[in-house]
Amino acid sequence: MSSIQKYTEDELVRLLQSRNREAFSYLYNNYSGALHGIIVRLTDNNVLAEDILQEVFLKIWNNISSYDATKGRLFTWMMKIARNLTIDTFRSKGYKKQQKIVTDENFVSNYNDGTSNEKFDSIGISKNLAVLKPEQRLIIDMAYFGGYTQEEISKQTGLPLGTVKTRMRAAILQLRKLLT
Amino acid sequence: MNVEDIISSGLLELYVAGLASEAEKQQVNTWRKQYPEVEIELQAIEIALEKYAFAHAVAPAASVKEKLIEKINFQPVDTTTPVFDINENKRKKTSTVFWKWGFAASVILFLGSLLLNLKFYNHSKKAEADLKSTKQKLESVVAQTKVLKEDIAVIQNKYTMAVSLSAQPTMPGATAKIYWITNTGEVMVDASNLPDAPAGKQYQFWAIVDGKPVSGGLLITNNKGMKIRMQKMKSFGSADAFAISLENEGGNPTPTKVVSMGAVSKI
Repeated sequence: MSSIQKYTEDELVRLLQSRNREAFSYLYNNYSGALHGIIVRLTDNNVLAEDILQEVFLKIWNNISSYDATKGRLFTWMMKIARNLTIDTFRSKGYKKQQKIVTDENFVSNYNDGTSNEKFDSIGISKNLAVLKPEQRLIIDMAYFGGYTQEEISKQTGLPLGTVKTRMRAAILQLRKLLT
Repeated sequence: MNVEDIISSGLLELYVAGLASEAEKQQVNTWRKQYPEVEIELQAIEIALEKYAFAHAVAPAASVKEKLIEKINFQPVDTTTPVFDINENKRKKTSTVFWKWGFAASVILFLGSLLLNLKFYNHSKKAEADLKSTKQKLESVVAQTKVLKEDIAVIQNKYTMAVSLSAQPTMPGATAKIYWITNTGEVMVDASNLPDAPAGKQYQFWAIVDGKPVSGGLLITNNKGMKIRMQKMKSFGSADAFAISLENEGGNPTPTKVVSMGAVSKI
């Protein structure tokens, strides 16, 4: 959470739906980093990630009227747009084969060698995340950021389906403990 | 399943993380509407993952925002269709509607004017006929007035002497008036009070000059059904009396049956 909270989520959504310019600026300033972080992790390509980020915000802006607060928080909705648009970009363009494989490998390898932790040391909160076991982080990243299904995670990690579920719940409970 | 069981089931975490099946999603959607606790729990999980994402935030280049602001349409129009097209369509629609109504209106106006034309034509025909009959009436009135004026002029003439002829026992009701213009000797007879002459008979006018009847001409009492008022007779310089007799058609040198007579009053 970078800048001072100016709007509640409800206010922000209402202002965006009435096509308020300041609200959009606020939305971008507050959420672009988090969304870009997800896209960067999925693409491992900063230039491509920035192109996708732009498309993500255009899509958010054009579809804000279809956002339904009763089905989840604003960020969850935006995160899904970012995730799906990134995956669609892989599928539609030449990146398809190369990048997707790279991403898949990254997800598994990064957590095994433990080097990626240092990336986030500059952000205070990230230090806490180091308390999460690498396999917990992997499962969250694959599901939440990568949009993988249980079966896909099971296949990628070699874990049985039931273990994927229990590990997911444990990871999130641990996350909540750390972040609240 | 009670609320505690739902929360501890692990399904809510899978739901938020996107790992739930379609059936499980439906189930959670029902629960979140049903139980406020479930909604609160879901929000808490979402916030946890949201914070996780923020912890991994990577700031994009400043140019991304600038490009975005340029691309975004902040106009309060919730569509990607260019504004121009919308207006064009609207205008076309309006103009079609305009022509439709315009056509309908012109047809109505045309029919209306046709009816009015017909009405006015009939009116003018009637007015023309009325004018014609009025003209005829006026002409006849003018003609009558002219006759009456002449008659009145005779009566009003200061030299005119009026002589009333009285009915004789031979024909009761046979009265007439004589207007004798003494300075010129002209004699006018108003025979309108004389009964129509029987078939084959005719009235004859007489002046009694020096005790002898002198014929003043034949009288017409009926001209095609119209009574003749004043009739000009022969002129007399002097007369003692005037008389009308009933004679065979064509008249007689001497009166045979005097029906009306009056003496000229001597001043």
